[in-house]
Amino acid sequence: MDCGDAKELLSACLDGEASAGDSRRVEEHLAGCAGCKAGERRMRALDVAIARTGTDVSPDFRERLFSRMEAEELLPKRRSLFAFSFRWAALPLAAAALGLFFLMSREAPRGPAAPGSAPQVAVIQPESPARAARETRAPEGTAVAGREELAAEEREIVAYLEILEDPASFEEPGGIDEMEMFLPDGKKQG
Amino acid sequence: MELYREGSRDAFEELFSRHHRRVIQFCYRMTGDRARAEEAAQEVFLRIARAAFTYRATAKFTTWMFTIARRTTLNFLRDEKETGEKVPLLDGPGGEDTPGSLQVEGPAELDPERMAWSAQLGEKFIEALQRLPETYRTAFVLNRGDGLSYEEVATVLGITVQAVKSRIFRAKEMLLGEISALLG
Repeated sequence: MDCGDAKELLSACLDGEASAGDSRRVEEHLAGCAGCKAGERRMRALDVAIARTGTDVSPDFRERLFSRMEAEELLPKRRSLFAFSFRWAALPLAAAALGLFFLMSREAPRGPAAPGSAPQVAVIQPESPARAARETRAPEGTAVAGREELAAEEREIVAYLEILEDPASFEEPGGIDEMEMFLPDGKKQG
Repeated sequence: MELYREGSRDAFEELFSRHHRRVIQFCYRMTGDRARAEEAAQEVFLRIARAAFTYRATAKFTTWMFTIARRTTLNFLRDEKETGEKVPLLDGPGGEDTPGSLQVEGPAELDPERMAWSAQLGEKFIEALQRLPETYRTAFVLNRGDGLSYEEVATVLGITVQAVKSRIFRAKEMLLGEISALLG
């Protein structure tokens, strides 16, 4: 094998394209030819060279391309996340709204209220004045149901307020006169 | 490509993400200019999309893609040639694939293990690539740059494997001559 043939075969060997027989013959030639051995190193250097000739890709390369493709209608446009989710959420949302409406309609009064009937409101029964008076006599710091947090003075005020709010207490003989509360102690009647 | 043809945007995005770097690198090595390379690469993907309906699954996609990429860059280079810029497109001296007369000895310092590669040298190498005849440059870039086999290069260029072997060898010999001169 002469050097001319060896170099072309060497090129194919380095590219992984030579047969096993050709590769063996090239190796035998290189073992005895310093010039071709140097040529082998130079050819390998070309692989290093081309591997290092890369270039960076511009950050907007993809956007520019996809915009052009969309303009030419070569690329289906991506649906927005909102449109996608609204489409798929519409049915469950409608079902939920219907269910809520049904529940609310069941909770509401079946028929119209009778004319003149009072609206149904929660009625809080006021405690009797006697009980309130008992509570005012409870020792300070003693916990009384419904009055746990009130001091003795506060409980007394509450008791008087409840008496004032109870019209029956005014009709009782010997009851407290409404105006008496505003009179000085020495001028109280009865 | 099948999914893209059926209207899948995701399919094209996957195709793009797999191949865009290779296409841009190929265009850069063929044109020697980053901006022109990206312009050419954009055109390559547009052509791929436009020609999607002509693609046959029997052909290897990368071979088909590089066939389009090569034609696109050739058009770019021809346009530049028409505007007066010096771009070698013809085959080298001595006709097509004739081996022999281009053996240039270079310095032993080209040993890859000892060669310090600088950015400037990279630019010079790209310039040296541009001085190769287009047929040699394409064969060399596709094989050594993009990793296509001789057979795949033959398919892209529409020539025989033996012709590919010869062109790549001659490209190497010419490049070694250029780089030897650069290294003085």
